[in-house]
This record gives sequence, C-alpha cells and structure tokens, in this order.
Amino acid sequence: MTQNDAGGSTPALRTDRLGRRYGREWGLRDCTLEVPAGVIAGLVGPNGAGKTTLLEMIIGLLQPTEGQLSVFGETSHAPMAARLARVGYVAQDHPLYRDFSVADMFHLGRAMNPSWDQQLALARMDALDIPLKRKVKSLSGGQRAQVSLTMALAKRAPLLVLDEPVSSLDPVARLEFMREVMAAAAGTGLTVIIASHVVSELERLCDWLIVLTGGQVQLAGPADDLIAAHRLLTVPRATPDAELPGLPIHRTDSDRHSTVLVRADPVRPAAQQRPGWQADPVGFEQLVMAYLQRPPKSAAHNDNAQAAARPGPSTKAVTR
Amino acid sequence: MIWVSWRQHRSQAIACLGLLAALAVYAILLGTSMRTAFGQDGLITCLARSHGTGCPAAIQAFTNRFGSEVNVAFWSVLLILPGLIGVLVGGPLIARELEYGTWRLAWSQTVSRARWLTVKLSLVTGGLVVLGAAMTALIMWYRAPMDRLTGRFLPNIYDFEGLVLTAYILSAFGFAVLAGLLLRRSIPAMVAAFIPWLAIRLVVEFLLRPHFQAPLTFRQVCPRNGFCNAGYGLGFLPPVTGHIGDWVLGQGANPNTYLYQPADRFWTFQFIEAGIFVALTAAALGATIWLLHRRAA
Repeated sequence: MTQNDAGGSTPALRTDRLGRRYGREWGLRDCTLEVPAGVIAGLVGPNGAGKTTLLEMIIGLLQPTEGQLSVFGETSHAPMAARLARVGYVAQDHPLYRDFSVADMFHLGRAMNPSWDQQLALARMDALDIPLKRKVKSLSGGQRAQVSLTMALAKRAPLLVLDEPVSSLDPVARLEFMREVMAAAAGTGLTVIIASHVVSELERLCDWLIVLTGGQVQLAGPADDLIAAHRLLTVPRATPDAELPGLPIHRTDSDRHSTVLVRADPVRPAAQQRPGWQADPVGFEQLVMAYLQRPPKSAAHNDNAQAAARPGPSTKAVTR
Repeated sequence: MIWVSWRQHRSQAIACLGLLAALAVYAILLGTSMRTAFGQDGLITCLARSHGTGCPAAIQAFTNRFGSEVNVAFWSVLLILPGLIGVLVGGPLIARELEYGTWRLAWSQTVSRARWLTVKLSLVTGGLVVLGAAMTALIMWYRAPMDRLTGRFLPNIYDFEGLVLTAYILSAFGFAVLAGLLLRRSIPAMVAAFIPWLAIRLVVEFLLRPHFQAPLTFRQVCPRNGFCNAGYGLGFLPPVTGHIGDWVLGQGANPNTYLYQPADRFWTFQFIEAGIFVALTAAALGATIWLLHRRAA
C-alpha cells in the first residue's frame, strides 16, 4: 500500500515545521512530516507527546502557532468547510450525543456532511448488529467506538484520523475495531492516521510509522524501511558509542554486555563490526520502544548526524 | 444544521412549552375572575367618571383581592424567572459540548464552527423570543383589568409587559452562552451568568430606569386649610398626580411637589430598557462567535 510514496501524487498530509504552543509550553514543535496517500500510518507516543495536538491541527480543531500544514494540498488557510470535508475524525473516547439514538447520530451526520453515505452507515450497523433505535448511552464501549468509526467513514473523506481509538476498549473490542479499520481501508485508497500508545495493536495494522515524544518527531517513514535500517547489537559493555557501526538510539547495559539499538549510518558502515559482536534484526515493537525511551533533548543534539544519515526519500520525514 | 439544533434543544423546548402552559392556566383562571369582579365592583363606571380618584376604596379592595402590586414574593419569582430560563438554555449550549467532548464530533463534520454556532444561536434565540412574547402576551391579557387601575409603570407590571421580559430572557441567555465557552462547564456557567445578569437587572430597574427621561414635576393643590393629605409610593392608587399610570418617583425640591414619569412614556421606556438588554445580548453573543472563531479558525 506504499506504492504512492515516491510518486508525484499529493501527499495525504504534509507538515512543515509545524508547531503549537499552549501558553509557554509547546505541545508540538518543529514537526515536519509527509504521509503519502493510501498508507495506514501509526502515530506512536506517550501521553502528552503531542499526538492529539497534531491530530487536532490536521482536522482543524486547533490552529497551528507556527509552520505549515496541508491535507491533500489544502492548507490551513483554506476555507474551514473545504478542510473539514477531507478528514474523517474519530476523537478520543468516541464522543457521541448520549441522548441521541444511533439513527439520530446518522441523521446528524447526513445533515452536517454533504458527502454523507447513509447506505454505508446502515450496512455497517446491520453487519455489526447494532440496532438503530438504541440510544447512544445504552451502547457498550465497543459499540460506541464502532458508531464513531462509522460516522467518520460515512463522511467519505479521503483521510481518516483516529485518536487513541482503542485505549478505552477491552481486548475483544480492540480487535474488532482494528479489524473494521483494516477492512475499511483495504482496497479503497483510504489514508489512515491512527494515534495510539498501544504499540502491539499497530504492528499488524500500520505500514507507516511516526514516533512522537516530547512534542517532537523522533522517527517517521515506511515501517519496513525503518525496521530494515536498524540493528540490535550486542557488544562488550565497555564499547564506546563512537566505535559502534551506526547511530546508537538506545542502549541497555548489563553486567558484561551492552545491547544497543543502532540506526544504519553510511558514515559508519557495518563493516566496522568486530568479531564477537552480534547484530540482530529489530522488531516493530522493539524499535518503537527504543525511540519512545529516548529523551527528546538527545534528538535535538543529534540533529546534524541524523540529517546526514537520511538513507533515502522514505525517511525525509525525520525531523530535527 | 436546523435539524441538529432542534434535536439538541428539543427537551428544552418541551420544558418551555410546559412552563408556558402552566402560565396560561394561571393567567386564564385569574384573568377570567378578575374580569368578572371588575364589572361587578362598579369600577368601570368609577373609572369613566373620575379617572379613579373618586373610588380609592374600591380600587384598593380590588387590588388587594387579586394580589397587591407590592407583592414582594410574587415579584421576586418573576424577577428571577427570565434569568433562570435564559441561563438554563444558554449555559449548556457550548459548555455541554466541551464537558462531554462532543465538540470534537460537532466541529469535525463538514460545517465550520462559526456556521454551527450561528445557526444554533439564531434558532434558539428565535425560540426564546417566541417564548418571551407568548409569556408577555399572557401576562398582559390577564392583567388588563388590573392595569386599568394601576397603570403599567409600576415595577412588577412594567417588568413583564411590553418588550422587556423578552429582552431579560435573551440577555441572560447571551451571558450564559459566553460563560459556557469561557468556563467550559454548564453549571458554573449558569451561576456565573446569572449573578451579573441579576445585578445589571436590578441596577437598571432601580438606578437607571427612573432617569431614562427627565422626570416631570407635579404641584399638588392643597385645600384651603393647608393640609395636604397625600403621599406617594406604590400603595397610593390612584397616584397623587390623579392620573392612573403615572409613576411617582418622589417628592420634588419644593413643598407639595412630586417628581413623576407620565404614563404615556411607558413604551418609550420599554424601548430604551429592552434596547439596553438586547445590546448586552448582542455583545455577549458577538463575543462568543468571535472567540470560538478565533480559537481555531
């Protein structure tokens, strides 16, 4: 599904040094990203990392303090309705009107969205066995999540943005929700950006990865390329960082050995590897966790090194 | 959007209709018996002959029977009622969306939030105008016989006839909508809107209203023995000026003179006071739209 990333087509999302300040604190800063159309992008970060800030700027609920943002070429200066039409949004905790019935919610969707697909909405409720007459407040958490997802899908927007859609759900409901997202995206060209701190849920779903900590982008690009560009090294404990083949991202020291996640670096090729060192491929979750544990300041420190290390167009989204 | 606004405010609309129905029952029962008594007591002839000055006892008996014009308890209820209606409808309008997180749903559909708010405010304001006008019409109808004896300038009459009742409701509504956006909680927004509303309402009534126009002076002609057995105040019906509906504010600078607002200024005063409250409403709602637009757009 990443066939579009090198082509000239308009990216689903492009941000350039995007930032949002709350009072004195920056919720998100210097965020430069590109998400091509058609991918399912996982946005990972701890609570307070700026995920919701980024997503709310994408949908237009927040205005950037600085920088640029465009969704399928529509900038944040375009008329509100034009921007809103391009994004379907499932907010955290799936807000719905409690005293509305499911049918009322769809009536609202139809009244407020010119491109509303009522047939899709009804078919989904039928398939999920959610009665239309049921009031929202008497639905289960999983059903509410499904109604929210259905509202966002029936809007027929080319970009679907999901903010922590499963964090409030039980494991079965999580699985069902993710399955529905995947089914909806399959073969339709829909672009999905899904924010979560449940990394394991994203692994099966996402072909694009963005790691955000402390309001800054740590890692972004096609998931497979990112995994391929990293190695897990086991080296003697005393080995200094400078001797490692690649950029050390995260290091765990035990009694005799150190386990270091390194990023491939053309300046320091893997040929430097010495006998007795062990290099293993890294898993999705390991990779994400390593970047999540990296303090945001070290990202700023490594600015130039990272910029030089960009292996190709796929990681041009890596920010300072 | 119209359907959405209606669906969200349906229960409030039904509650308002219930209130209106209760008021209608009260007004029809009281208004009918008032009309019967008015004919029986010979007040019509008295009014026609002497403008009421000839039968103060009969007037007093009638007003005592149907609730004195200085019934503080009744006045207090009616004083706060428009404010309560306004804040109950206005407080949750935005605050509820913020409280329950549904703003993220409401403002992520293909309708800009400026339009969302404008449509909602227009419809709810329209509904409140209809409610205020209907309440005013009921009150004016049932009080019609009483008004012929007391005029319409006394506070507990003036406040519920003409235009001001509707304007009071609207201003409380406007304050509460703005407070809801600022405080993001329905109940605190209602309280925060009601208190300044009541303060402004009382300041206008007791400090500003008597001076909307410069009062006229009435010089009382006393009998030969020099003893003027007259006073002023709410209880004196007909008023010392001898003209029903004049609003006597107090004694003038010279002995036996009284300052008063003549009865024919009623509508001018109503327009001025309603204008003040409508302007406050417009300011509050305008600030709300501006703030909400600026918040993200």
